[in-house]
Amino acid sequence: MNSVFFFVAVATGLALAGMSFWALRGASQRRVHEHGFRALDSAPRDLDNMPQIRQSMDPADFEFARAKGGRHLETRLRGERRQVALLYLAAIRRDFEQSLRVARVIAVLSPEVSGTQEYQRIRLSMMFRWRFQMIKVRLLIGIMPQPQLVALWQMASSMAIQMEQAMAKLGERAALAAELAPQSEK
Amino acid sequence: MLQLPTFTLTAWGLATALTLFLLVRVFLLRVYRRYPFFTFYLGANLLQTAVLGYLYQSYGFNSTTYGYRSAWATQAFVVVARGFAAAEVCYRILGKFKGVWALAMRILISCGAIVLVSTLYFGTRSYQLAVITLEMGLEAFIATWIVGLLLFARYYAVPVEPPAGMVGFGLGLLSCCRLLNDLVFERHVQAYQDVWNYVSAAAFVGILLLWNWFMRRPATQAVSEPQLNTVQVYQSLIPQVNRKLSELNQQLSQFWRTESPKP
Repeated sequence: MNSVFFFVAVATGLALAGMSFWALRGASQRRVHEHGFRALDSAPRDLDNMPQIRQSMDPADFEFARAKGGRHLETRLRGERRQVALLYLAAIRRDFEQSLRVARVIAVLSPEVSGTQEYQRIRLSMMFRWRFQMIKVRLLIGIMPQPQLVALWQMASSMAIQMEQAMAKLGERAALAAELAPQSEK
Repeated sequence: MLQLPTFTLTAWGLATALTLFLLVRVFLLRVYRRYPFFTFYLGANLLQTAVLGYLYQSYGFNSTTYGYRSAWATQAFVVVARGFAAAEVCYRILGKFKGVWALAMRILISCGAIVLVSTLYFGTRSYQLAVITLEMGLEAFIATWIVGLLLFARYYAVPVEPPAGMVGFGLGLLSCCRLLNDLVFERHVQAYQDVWNYVSAAAFVGILLLWNWFMRRPATQAVSEPQLNTVQVYQSLIPQVNRKLSELNQQLSQFWRTESPKP
């Protein structure tokens, strides 16, 4: 047995032991879900605030603030709006995670699952998370690509809403099946 | 009289007592109905102890002849029984979810096979250590299966029945401990021979204590049977989700390229 294999194997053994702790902890802490539609409880609710958020990111506001109140006011406004943008980003993340959660519920409850689709979703969600973190860093250092932020949020929200509607239809169908079942037994 | 080191003898006695106690609990709590392979694995351990006791008494503890080989053959039997118990736990947790189960089976069997083959290929190929290498391969296979299963359960938010989770965790952890123990043994055969026995026995006793503690009360939390959707639901929704994700990623990449407005 060569040294490289020995160290790789030892590292793998330790990693497997560590991962089993981590994975079991995650699995046992999870509440037993009722296999479905509870994941919809936190559907996107922030869409009503879209015009205000869009307004708060308008660059014309900064120019107006500088013209009327000077550079100090503009800097303060920028800082506050950066916080708004970060909250906005958190909302995008929440909607995105919600959609993924619903997608996982759909996969779990499906009698057939495509490995390609599942792999693609994992790959895309990892890419999303990475890019998302990069944008957050950009926002934190003071660069605010506002129009894109709004567009991004619209996309994430529409995806979550679409998932919500699809799942609601499934819920109605399941409820109808549950109602029909006792009648057919009578 | 067996000429075994006192510590080894004590560990054996303790492991046997704990296994017996656990087996009784398994029958009293009727766990055997849901976990027949796990019950069989516990029984196989007791049987192995009896056979080893006989072999060591007849041929001696440090014999390298028939007794030694037979002792290792019993170990292969126990490891295979543990493999079946691990497969049973996997089925108990994911089996209800047919689609994910089929996917998990494909992935876990592939990963397990890669681990098994690479261990057998890269491990020592001397005749004396061949059984150890084979055991290492099987242990790595079981550990990969269990960890993969728990990762699947975590990712898909599958509810894990506490007994299944604890049995699976115990089996996986035991395989990891044995794998590491065998690896060190294979590298430092002479110096590590006695310690290998101690570590092996201590790991098993530790896991038995964990299982005994867990089975001190009957499990109350049961996972309900899921109501599966039709395949069409998955086939229509998931590609849409992936398409949306792809669009979101495109949007994010544009973000990166766009210049921010200058004050």
